[in-house]
Amino acid sequence: MSEKKMKILLVEDEPDMVEAVRIRLEANGFDVITASDGPDGLNKARTAGPDLVILDVMLPKMDGFKVCRMLKFDEKYRKIPIIMFTARTQQADLAQGKEMGADAYITKPFKSEELLAKIRELLG
Amino acid sequence: MSERKNGEQLVIHDIKDKILWAVKVRHAIVVLSLCLMLFAFFNKLDIGLSLGLIPFVAAYNIVAHIIYRLKKNYQLWQIISFRSVFQVFDVLAITFLIYITGGLESPYWFLYLVLIVISGFGAYSYAAFSVFLIAIFSAVFYLGLLLLTYRGVIPTYGPGFMLSPQELLRSIFNKAVFTTVSFFLFAATIYYFTKLIGEQRQQLSQKNKELLVALGELKDLDRVKDEFISNASHELRTPLSVIRENVSLVNDGIVGKVSQKQKKLLMSSQANVDRLARILDNMLDISKIESRMLALNRQRADLCEVASKAVELFGKKARDKNIRIETRFPGKVVAWFDPDQVLRVYINLLDNAIKFTAEKGAVTVGVEVFPREMRGFVEDDGIGIASADRARIFERFTRIDAEGLVGRRGAGLGLSICKGIIEMQNGRIWVESDPGKGSRFVFALPRVEVNE
Repeated sequence: MSEKKMKILLVEDEPDMVEAVRIRLEANGFDVITASDGPDGLNKARTAGPDLVILDVMLPKMDGFKVCRMLKFDEKYRKIPIIMFTARTQQADLAQGKEMGADAYITKPFKSEELLAKIRELLG
Repeated sequence: MSERKNGEQLVIHDIKDKILWAVKVRHAIVVLSLCLMLFAFFNKLDIGLSLGLIPFVAAYNIVAHIIYRLKKNYQLWQIISFRSVFQVFDVLAITFLIYITGGLESPYWFLYLVLIVISGFGAYSYAAFSVFLIAIFSAVFYLGLLLLTYRGVIPTYGPGFMLSPQELLRSIFNKAVFTTVSFFLFAATIYYFTKLIGEQRQQLSQKNKELLVALGELKDLDRVKDEFISNASHELRTPLSVIRENVSLVNDGIVGKVSQKQKKLLMSSQANVDRLARILDNMLDISKIESRMLALNRQRADLCEVASKAVELFGKKARDKNIRIETRFPGKVVAWFDPDQVLRVYINLLDNAIKFTAEKGAVTVGVEVFPREMRGFVEDDGIGIASADRARIFERFTRIDAEGLVGRRGAGLGLSICKGIIEMQNGRIWVESDPGKGSRFVFALPRVEVNE
């Protein structure tokens, strides 16, 4: 238990979704902090020092793509891996997600094994 | 789309009719000139001018007719630029007419005055302005001609510059009747023609404006529908995700111990959530295809490459069922189509083929080349399809129930999506099959040559 727990920032506006994912992540040994809108998510990403960010595309006040872009274009936070959640499976959105620099892209509804696998992969 | 085309064709017909009409007017003028000539002959008046006018107008009309005939099959914009050709032709023709009817002595220079007056100095319409311009240019040409004959560069036909001003004026006014009538006839035909083209131009630009407005409205509507669909998609998927996650959490024992019976029900719920998600995907696709909103990304691509990709994706699934996938590709088949959408078609057909083929069976995926089209096919030696079902199978929400079919059942949308994708690219899709003898699903796409 000497290893520091990895901190994951979950930016998602749907409270039920937040609950479900939080339970899942905590059961798998991660610390979870949450934000329920774009600006708050951006702020916490910069101040709370997460090891990974899970970002929903549809967020109030500022959409997920923008948050992703802002983090990735900033030298200080560029290295934090970002997984984007989305309901849209259109190729355009996939392309946009990749262009914005998201490291992974998961469509809802997702299989939790898939999410965990991607998290572990990105955290090395 | 077809309505717009009809509108364009109507406008073209309209113009063609009017031009034909204008040509007929010119023919009428030839006839009138002939009458003039006969009148002059029987009244022993000076017929020189009429004689000069008739073959001239006749020849002019014939040449105009020939040019028009040559251009008859051309498109609209070419008919419009046609106008400048005619205007230049008119100016040169009049100048030549003046020359052969006596140069300075020729009364036809009155024509310019008439034209300038009729055009009202180009003040009241585009057509009038063009006529005004023509008249000015023609006057310039005429003055140029006078200068050249004065300087002796070109030979003159009549006494011209030798006459005194009074004699000249008298000579001209003697031919007043003929000159006036001919001027008006000639001027009228030139003016009418120009007015015609000007009118059509206006009509076209008006139509163009209307079309642009309609296009703008359609684009707005398109965007609204797009937003609606993606919002609806998100709205439906979010609760689905929550349900799935919650069920999954309980099932995995994270929030407490779960009995075997409970686990079974929970897993069934999970599977059904997945099924809902797939149906949702398909429904959104179908609605996009039906409203022609599925964006086609046509590009130069190799159909065999697309087919190979599909085969690769099903490698594992086929091995699990011990099914052999064979391929038949005749080298590179390059054409202009949307490879991602066609890949979906192959994936769908291959998925079905594997689903409906028993263990240890064989599935063949291939491409065939024909002179103007290329065909992709997926063959299986599965249970086959009865002739009654073969037509229905591509309809929405139609599933053919099969005895002993194991595996997930879809919503019956896969093949209708394939049909939509193929038909949007001007292709056809069908199936050749008999019960017990396997099936062969084929789609054909036009093989359009692409100029690089």
